[in-house]
Amino acid sequence: MILRGAKCAELTDVEIIRRALVEVDYFSCLYERYGPRLRLYIQRISQASDEEAEDLLQDAFIKIWKNLNAYQPDLKLSSWLYRIVHNHVISEWRQKRTHGSTYTLEWDDRIINVLAEDLEEDAGTNDRLLRLQEALLALPDKYREVITLKYFEQMNYEDISDVLKIPEGTVATRLNRARQMMAKFCNQSKTKITAYGPR
Amino acid sequence: MDPADKMIQSIKDQQITPTRRWYFRLREGGIWGVFAVSILLGALAFSTILYAVQQTDFDLVRHFSHSMLEMFLALLPFVWIIFLVVALGLAIVSIQHSWRGYKISPLRVVMINMLFSLLLGTAFFIGGGAGWMDAAFNRTGFDYSSIQQRKQMLWSRPDEGMLAGKVLRVKENSMEMEDFDGQMWQVSLDGAFIAPVVLLEPGEIVKLVGDQTGPVAFRAQEVRPWGGPGTSQPGRGPRGNRGE
Repeated sequence: MILRGAKCAELTDVEIIRRALVEVDYFSCLYERYGPRLRLYIQRISQASDEEAEDLLQDAFIKIWKNLNAYQPDLKLSSWLYRIVHNHVISEWRQKRTHGSTYTLEWDDRIINVLAEDLEEDAGTNDRLLRLQEALLALPDKYREVITLKYFEQMNYEDISDVLKIPEGTVATRLNRARQMMAKFCNQSKTKITAYGPR
Repeated sequence: MDPADKMIQSIKDQQITPTRRWYFRLREGGIWGVFAVSILLGALAFSTILYAVQQTDFDLVRHFSHSMLEMFLALLPFVWIIFLVVALGLAIVSIQHSWRGYKISPLRVVMINMLFSLLLGTAFFIGGGAGWMDAAFNRTGFDYSSIQQRKQMLWSRPDEGMLAGKVLRVKENSMEMEDFDGQMWQVSLDGAFIAPVVLLEPGEIVKLVGDQTGPVAFRAQEVRPWGGPGTSQPGRGPRGNRGE
């Protein structure tokens, strides 16, 4: 009996967990509710292909199942799921990423505008997206993580703190540092373009 | 197959079951237990440091070529500094592995740990536990030199003006004393400051600041009780200049 759609929709996260511990099929509701977001997140932090991301997600959900009794409702379930997925991807994927991947982040206008505004990047310039993409990829992992969670997953400081298991103050520090590094990268990139002229 | 179905099927096929709740409760309890142990360890270390401070006789430093820090470090067994650092490390690691402990910054964990260690350690020191523990560690047979041993070594340097030992006989302006190595000394007390709590009775252990005037002769400038500075009680007896 695999549960779907309306049956899952009427249950809260905590109810799903409580029922899943009795009847495993209810666990598919969590996959249905959070799977797509988490798969996208996996691709954002690992640059894995669709197939690889799905495998990582399957494995991460098995881990979530094993640790289901560890969950305490004082933490947002989404933050806890993100945390397990994040840690799983870090431990499993990053060792293998030398294989390379052609996947690139999917930037929509909202992300570009908000991030560009925070970095005081010029609006409307044609190469803005390229600069932002390069700047993000140039960031060390710990800074790219907070930028991804903040701008792509639209999380607040508290949620980011829960996912990464770091104090909120550290989240703020890393975000500021990441923004500074990205802004610096973008400025250097612009200087190069000005000096050598557009190709 | 649908990914959700595939996952559920995989769980069923491999008969994977969630880890029991008691395991996570036990783990969380263990983590907080480690934090409590780190506070206890810190308290013991802190009480020993207090004990070393008490035994350092900072007010005598002016007589010596050594600094306060040198005297303090000479007395403090470094094993306790290491214990203190280990305790703080344990506290940080344990808290960060707890369910919500990561919300507390490492600096705050250190401050909380230090505060509790300080309070407990002070209570332990006031209760006389630090001296007892220092002696107990010394009896274990491990390579641990106690604060008392270090203090004896520090006060067995007559050529540097520091001598201590047991009073054997007291005369008008002098006394006979046996140091910690069993060496007999003729000590001149002429003009010496004698701390009010010093009774100068046979069997009493005292420490002297002064000059070595011969192979087994010493001229005391100050006579203090072995236990500490000894200026808190009113003086008794006529010898030397009794401190107020």
